Amino acid sequence: MSSDLKICTKMLVFAALAGGVVSAGQARGEEIRRAKQQAAPGVAELAKEVHDKGWIVYGARTSKGDWDLFTMRPDGSDVRNITNTANFNEAAPRFSPDGRKILYRRLRRNEKIEPNRFGMQGRLVFANSDGSDVVVYGKQGQYTWASWGPQGKRIACMSAKGIYFVDLSTKEVVGRLSRQGFFQQVSWSPDGKWLCGVANSFGTGWSVARMEIATGAANAVNRVNTCTPDWFADSRHLIFSYRPPNQQGNNGNGWTQLWMADGEGTQRSLVYGEDGRHIYGGVVSPDSRYVLFTGNDREDGDPTRAGAPMAIMRLQDAPTIGGQSIALRQLHENTRDGPVLVLPDGWEPHWTYADIGVKK
Amino acid sequence: MTRIHARLRRSANLICAFVLIVILCTSCSKKPDTGRDAKVTTLGSIEVTAKLLEIKGDLPDIAMYDYAFVMKYEVLQVHRGNLDAKLIYVGHYNPLKSRDSVADGRVTEIGGNIKRFRALDVHRMALEVPIDDYYMGGIINRYFDQSKEPVYWAVWSNNVVK
Repeated sequence: MSSDLKICTKMLVFAALAGGVVSAGQARGEEIRRAKQQAAPGVAELAKEVHDKGWIVYGARTSKGDWDLFTMRPDGSDVRNITNTANFNEAAPRFSPDGRKILYRRLRRNEKIEPNRFGMQGRLVFANSDGSDVVVYGKQGQYTWASWGPQGKRIACMSAKGIYFVDLSTKEVVGRLSRQGFFQQVSWSPDGKWLCGVANSFGTGWSVARMEIATGAANAVNRVNTCTPDWFADSRHLIFSYRPPNQQGNNGNGWTQLWMADGEGTQRSLVYGEDGRHIYGGVVSPDSRYVLFTGNDREDGDPTRAGAPMAIMRLQDAPTIGGQSIALRQLHENTRDGPVLVLPDGWEPHWTYADIGVKK
Repeated sequence: MTRIHARLRRSANLICAFVLIVILCTSCSKKPDTGRDAKVTTLGSIEVTAKLLEIKGDLPDIAMYDYAFVMKYEVLQVHRGNLDAKLIYVGHYNPLKSRDSVADGRVTEIGGNIKRFRALDVHRMALEVPIDDYYMGGIINRYFDQSKEPVYWAVWSNNVVK
């Protein structure tokens, strides 16, 4: 019995050591991968090009283990923690249209950020874009899936009972819509005429859909295994994550890629894909010239770990395919494969060109 | 040799008899159960006993995605509420999970005693309708192109044993 125990103990120690070695190996592998990407042709030029183009805000895990919000320049420089709250987790920040404010969700420290539910978790908070003047707006679970309106004076929210519009100064509900199967990640278009979101009403559980606010009419933009939609500045195109069916990789489950489409869903095209990574968190820069996203090892977008490397590419370089991606390249032969600037780990980033008041 | 054979035969007979007794005891222990309990008779606005006619396709095993899966039922008895249809479509939340542990952060007031969904089983269910008024999440509805009837939302789901 005791010898069995000894063997078990040895095995456990070995497993732990092996795990450590593997984990350290993975980290080293990631470092090498990053270094290679940063040294790739055109990356330094891209970094220089975007350096002064405003700020990116994102959530990331701190050394204390909680999640805070950070801002940085689009080339990854000048990273600042703008919340510094060890007792809370903060997630899903979005700049107001003028870039002066952010909204985000504040969760209890022990509450895990759920990739498909984050907009319903915790409390809605507003703050200046440098993290100052924090205002907790509403109670736990109120104002869910809040999205800025075009003037920054109203927000669109969504609960099971429907979509509703809130005047921020009075907190009055100033309009309502049936949610037509929309259930997460609602985003109000820059021109104020549309909403996009993830819907279950088009024959599959996860469709990206668009809704006209004036009529409440909704249409599917992309139907299968697709989510996290966001608007281009023209309010006529959407960027979203999509896991096309019939992929061989990832045990037949495939990899999630970044796609774009027009609002009618008639013209869809690959923006960025990489076999071995799930691409999420896609947003375009305010002038729609660049694309910002996260490249995750895991399907969940990695909020349960520490986020994933963010990255920027030029939209004119779409479609770009990262890594070897043999299977993906067979499907998309004419790729442009432009430079991809890899940024720190983060989750659900957002971009403004405004001067957000951060002083050097 | 023949003595060994006889012993073996006797042992085999004994084992068979034992297995038979166990099977009989197990089937005897399944007492009739109407599925009635304090939850199913009070939650939701509709309460039915219904036969699960089919589970269309596989139940996707995608741990990180919560979803409701729509199943087709034949209504056997309406206990509460207004329901005239003979066939109904019911969305069960995360159907691979036992009903007694299915409640979570997204869906809190849900449960029952069904461990596993099997076609032709009879369930007593507390329901709401339409599903979208009570559940905000992914719905896998393989009857989407066949039926435009409202989908019911299973709040509480118990097994019925005849």
